[in-house]
Amino acid sequence: MIAFDNVAKIYPVTKDMRVTAVHGVNLEISAGEFVVVTGRSGSGKTTLLNLAAGLTQPTSGRVLLDGQDLWQMSDRQRSVLRAQKVGFVFQFPSLLPSLTVLENVTLPAIFQPNGARADAGQHARELLEQVGLAPKAGVYPRQLSAGQQQRVVIARALFNQPQVLLADEPTSDLDEQTEHEIMELFAQIHAQTRLTVVLVTHTTQLVSYGTRAVRMAEGQILTAADT
Amino acid sequence: MKINALLLVLLALVISIVPFFTDCSSQGRVLTLQNGRTIPMKCHWTGRAELAVALPLAVVGALLALSKRKETRRFLAIVGAFLGLAAILLPLAFIGVCSSAEMTCKMIMEPVLILAGIVVIAVSGLVLFQSRGPEAVS
Amino acid sequence: MQLVQLARRNITGNAFRSWVVALCACLVAGLALGTTLILRGADSSLRLANQRLGADIVVVPEGAVEKVEGALLMGHTTRVWMASQNLDKVVGVPGVQAASPQIYLSTLLNASCCSVPNMFLVAYDPATDFTLEPWLKNTIGQGLKLGEVVGGAFVFTPEGEQNIQIYGYLVTLKANLEPTGTGIDQSMFMTLETARDIARVSVTMAVAPLEIPDDGISAVMVQLDPGADPQATAVEIMHRVPGVTPIVSSNLFQAYRKQLGSLRAGIGATLGLTLGLSVLLIGLVFSMAANERRRELGVLRAMGASRAFVFRTLLVEAGMLALAGAFTGITLTILVVYLFRTLIVVTLGLPFLMPALSTLAAEVLAGLGVALVVITLAALFPAVRISRLDPAVAMRE
Repeated sequence: MIAFDNVAKIYPVTKDMRVTAVHGVNLEISAGEFVVVTGRSGSGKTTLLNLAAGLTQPTSGRVLLDGQDLWQMSDRQRSVLRAQKVGFVFQFPSLLPSLTVLENVTLPAIFQPNGARADAGQHARELLEQVGLAPKAGVYPRQLSAGQQQRVVIARALFNQPQVLLADEPTSDLDEQTEHEIMELFAQIHAQTRLTVVLVTHTTQLVSYGTRAVRMAEGQILTAADT
Repeated sequence: MKINALLLVLLALVISIVPFFTDCSSQGRVLTLQNGRTIPMKCHWTGRAELAVALPLAVVGALLALSKRKETRRFLAIVGAFLGLAAILLPLAFIGVCSSAEMTCKMIMEPVLILAGIVVIAVSGLVLFQSRGPEAVS
Repeated sequence: MQLVQLARRNITGNAFRSWVVALCACLVAGLALGTTLILRGADSSLRLANQRLGADIVVVPEGAVEKVEGALLMGHTTRVWMASQNLDKVVGVPGVQAASPQIYLSTLLNASCCSVPNMFLVAYDPATDFTLEPWLKNTIGQGLKLGEVVGGAFVFTPEGEQNIQIYGYLVTLKANLEPTGTGIDQSMFMTLETARDIARVSVTMAVAPLEIPDDGISAVMVQLDPGADPQATAVEIMHRVPGVTPIVSSNLFQAYRKQLGSLRAGIGATLGLTLGLSVLLIGLVFSMAANERRRELGVLRAMGASRAFVFRTLLVEAGMLALAGAFTGITLTILVVYLFRTLIVVTLGLPFLMPALSTLAAEVLAGLGVALVVITLAALFPAVRISRLDPAVAMRE
């Protein structure tokens, strides 16, 4: 489903200074896998995820999503691919504050090339039901707790029925209990839909939720073993 | 909402104060009757009548700042709109100002009152629009 | 949710930023329209005043140009005299097709015998007049009789009265001229016969008598033969008629045209400065806002928004704010200019006429257009910059 072929990503910080986020990355993630990527801060986990989603261009190497080289297509084509195949859960609060919960969940519909589905509202409510937040459809994000907001983000990420769900440290701002609830939700979604999940975290204990663990350090993949 | 309320209070001040400085009496012009007595021109009375608009308008503004319920705000907005209309009609129809184009009451007082009245109606309309729908759930 | 809906939500979600941009648009559009209205209004007035006079050349006593222009344009009453024989001399100048005398008078400043104080009166000779008489025949079917007058657009019979009292004499208002935005609007026109009748009656009936010299006229309106050169004829008049100044109509109201020119320059500079500052301010506000919203826009990109979408969203937001602000500014400007038009005239010392509705509509659209262009231009650079940003970089803290 996702393949990294000798990928490196170097960010220019100043005119003379550069940071190598990842280098020599070779990794294949098959459809239906739940991969948990762990590593310390600065190990390149987030960059790996951004590369997988085509949100940043590799300095060298190739990134393939569902067999397509992400950087052999136009920005528009890449955006359409992302809209149709990728759901993203962010580390930071990413709901639009001026939209209600329901409106946030249906937001991805704007980016569908064929327009919004006719039952967008209904579909969104079902997703909110699935994440246990159906009664909160009409409220604004500021009226939700951090854990609730993250559930809404997950519902939003699933709206376009993606093939891949990418989650960047989705539980880093949450307490242990809520973290556990969110991870259970991920596991449940994976079990029900068999979509490919790539979850990045610095908490190694969360590895048990996935089907495969990948460890990163200093921009390189150290191990990639089944859990 | 507080800004709308403040605007209404400011407009009330304008409506009440401007006529005092721009009617013909303030410029030293009065009507002299046959018997030699002097009386103010009608612009003077329009100015005084505007006080009866300005005072309730100031109260509406103050209440608007304090009210939290949409129903109350809608009511205040409607009252405000009517007061704005009254502010316009006093110089235009009900009492009037002097006819000559270059007299201060015609040149300054009347346009100020009309403009203030229009802005009051506009602000009231905005409050009405912002207060539509059911009460917010706390 | 559509792009426009999303833009609207983003606008209401950040009140401060939205208000600043809308206010700038309001200012830009309002100022652009307001200055256009005033400048073009003054221009139209000058043109219409010229047309209303109907003369190719106006001959006035030497040294009286300013006073006569002030009377005709601004309604500042004046009394100037020259010998009535000058009329015959002017008629004899080659190139002159017709010449008609006028006498300039005024009502008293504060007297009970005059319904309207300090009004400019123009007495004309119906036998030789070539402007007012034809217009009257067209409008009311006949010329003015004894005791009848024509008023400018703002002359009216006082409430409850049938006539207007001038120096104790009652005149009947037969018709009103179209508005010109000049002093003509507050002037009254009558035949010489009526004027002399008023003068006769005023001796006993008025607080102070109306004095008209037997042998005096104030101006001569000249119509030229077709093809005659106005400048050459004016020079000839000056040679043949000592003690007068002939003013060619294209040079009429020159002092006011110069004033208008200075005003235009001043306003142009102010407008240019305002536009420039607005572009800078809005550019700054949008830049700051775009920076603040980097993460949010990065999230949209992650959801499948293309660069073009992000760019369009920012421009649509700018456009909506521009239109809302401009519309408010334009409405307020029209209201203010219309309501305070007399104050504008008195303050600027220039005539003013509100444009016809069709012209106003065109100017309104132009004002909206200016605001839209200015705001969109200001938002362009930040929009381009942010839309091109690497989404991963945008989402980093």
